[in-house]
Amino acid sequence: MSYFLTQVLNGLSYGLVLSLIAAGFAIVFTSTGVLNFAHGSIVLLGAYLVAVLHPTIGFWPAMLVALFGAALVGVLINALLVRNLADPTPGAAAILMLGVDIVLLTELTRRIGNQVLPVGAPWGASVVRFGEIALPTGRVVAAGVTVVAFAALWYLFSRTDLGVGMRAAAADGPTASLMGIRLSRTAATGWALAGVLAAVAGVFLTSFPSPGVAPTIALSAFAAIPAWVLGGFDSVPGAVVGGLLIGLTSALVTGYEGDLEHVLGAGFGEVAPYVVMIVVLLVRPSGLMGSKEAVRV
Amino acid sequence: MKHLPRTCALTAAAVTMLSLAACSTTDPDASGGSGGGAEGDVTTGSGVTDSEITVGMLTDLSGPFAAGAAVQVTQTNAYWDQVNADGGVCDRDVVVDVQDHGYDPQRAVTLYRSMAPDVIALQQVLGGPTSAAVLPLAEQDDVYVGGVGWTGSALQYENNQLPGASYAIEAANAVDYLVDELGVPEGGSIGVVYFAGDYGGDALAGAEHAAEERGVEIVAQEITSQTTDLSAQASALVQADVAGVVLAAAPTQLASLAGVLATQGADVPIVGMNPTFNPSLLGSPVADALLANAYSITSVAPYASDAPGVQAANELYASVAPDGDLGWEVPLAYVQGELLRQALEGACESGELTPEGVVAALQESSSVDTDGLLPDGLDYSQAGQSPTTTVYVSKVDADAEAGLALLEEFSGPSAESFSYGG
Repeated sequence: MSYFLTQVLNGLSYGLVLSLIAAGFAIVFTSTGVLNFAHGSIVLLGAYLVAVLHPTIGFWPAMLVALFGAALVGVLINALLVRNLADPTPGAAAILMLGVDIVLLTELTRRIGNQVLPVGAPWGASVVRFGEIALPTGRVVAAGVTVVAFAALWYLFSRTDLGVGMRAAAADGPTASLMGIRLSRTAATGWALAGVLAAVAGVFLTSFPSPGVAPTIALSAFAAIPAWVLGGFDSVPGAVVGGLLIGLTSALVTGYEGDLEHVLGAGFGEVAPYVVMIVVLLVRPSGLMGSKEAVRV
Repeated sequence: MKHLPRTCALTAAAVTMLSLAACSTTDPDASGGSGGGAEGDVTTGSGVTDSEITVGMLTDLSGPFAAGAAVQVTQTNAYWDQVNADGGVCDRDVVVDVQDHGYDPQRAVTLYRSMAPDVIALQQVLGGPTSAAVLPLAEQDDVYVGGVGWTGSALQYENNQLPGASYAIEAANAVDYLVDELGVPEGGSIGVVYFAGDYGGDALAGAEHAAEERGVEIVAQEITSQTTDLSAQASALVQADVAGVVLAAAPTQLASLAGVLATQGADVPIVGMNPTFNPSLLGSPVADALLANAYSITSVAPYASDAPGVQAANELYASVAPDGDLGWEVPLAYVQGELLRQALEGACESGELTPEGVVAALQESSSVDTDGLLPDGLDYSQAGQSPTTTVYVSKVDADAEAGLALLEEFSGPSAESFSYGG
């Protein structure tokens, strides 16, 4: 039983980090309609900034710089590239973001080299024990921070003018614009929020039980894509549920691989998130909590 | 308009013929020619003039392995400069044509096609997918290819020279070492955590063979390079009560696995294959877990070996890149140069300084020594088999240069009984 609980907690704690990344995908999509394939590189950028700055200015100030830096890069991508697309369709924007991803990732890979850079998190490799179950302190902190971040997002979207404006802009941009909502401002806020979430996720993704920042982290961030898709492209709560579901599925399938191997084959833990995503989409084509597309018949 | 397709087809055929002719590795002008001077009647071919021999290097200077590749390029150039200063090979200077494939197989093939007519051999094609794309073409052209890594699948190409033992041999030795030296009992379990693909698959095959020979159970966990948090895998290994782990992955996975196993109270040795250790891991929060339990099995002697070949390689690198990154790339690049130099010398001695002559010299070499950079007595005459069953076992050690202290050269019974296709 404690083994099952260990795997459940492994899965949920990893799933919360995935949901931070998935929420970033969802917020950019709702605020500007862009499938942000450069999000993985922004996750890596956030972690990289903490890794290179923490030895000189300390972990927490480095974290602040990283949050600001990742948000700024997001805002600049939107202001300089996305808004100036000659053909502002989702397809063109997605291809643009693939290009941005290649540029960012190549430069960060060049800077990181073949090193694994520690982020210097104060919790180090310590663990918190619940009876027989040991969970890395970093993951417990991640869980707390994630809950606070999502509470703040909920407050922003439901209780502030800016958040309501963002929702209005997402629901119907032209009408929102006619009502006096500045679309450029809601879009910039969306990109900045996604950058902040990416940097936070980057630090948790590269602190224990991961050893540090390596270029593969940008690819690990793509593990959040099934979470984003199955939650519904445009739903932050969906991203949270999706992240938890994907984390849990991966951990349990990996944990019980020995028993499942005869049925599902080796390495199914890597495939399971995509299987869950496909099954969910077959039942609910708009994802778990995504808005259904209205079609005039 | 009806004739257009036929015209196009004829043009395409003509272009194809021309490009095929361009891809031929045998220089028609040189095929019957002979180099003049002191070497007497040596027949020369592509990439060889009276004063120079050109060798190729297809590497990754802009992709994911750029940092390690840059170390290898620096060391390779330094190696050949040193050889040239000592008189060169076959009374000629050796020059290296370095091209960047960016870890893109298509680009690697294009570069190979353009490079092949002008080089005698390829000292390196870095990367699994890129070398898999180039090796069959080079085999058709009878061009030597070195430095493609240690996957068993590369052994099927007779033009390929593996720098030491293959991954299956490394993993079989890892199981032997765990049983003989690190206390895994008969009937016990050994975890194998491996990357999906050539590298991990080859290692798993070696480990499974050894497990059968030594009477231990394998608990396999397949992962990918994106798996940077190995909590679930580590918990599963603890649950299976493994007494040791063989890891065929990368440094990130080694650190995560060692760290999580330590927090779960599993004090078990972890033996990683060639590319699993990086000295920068000793600055991570899991350094203590690595120092306690991490071992490395490598085909090439580690940086801290005191063998004369390794010392020569390290001194050379220190002289050209005093602030360069240290690691296993330093002796590896040097020994790849050394292996190719021996093949070129062999070709020269047989009077055939051509691509085909280099491949023939490779296939005839049954006891290659490299001053301790690789195990002595490498046998390249057995096509399809690893040239040696001996590997280097090191322990992670903060006091050793580049973080690995050499424990011993090791050749276990399971590694010796392993055979590809057998």
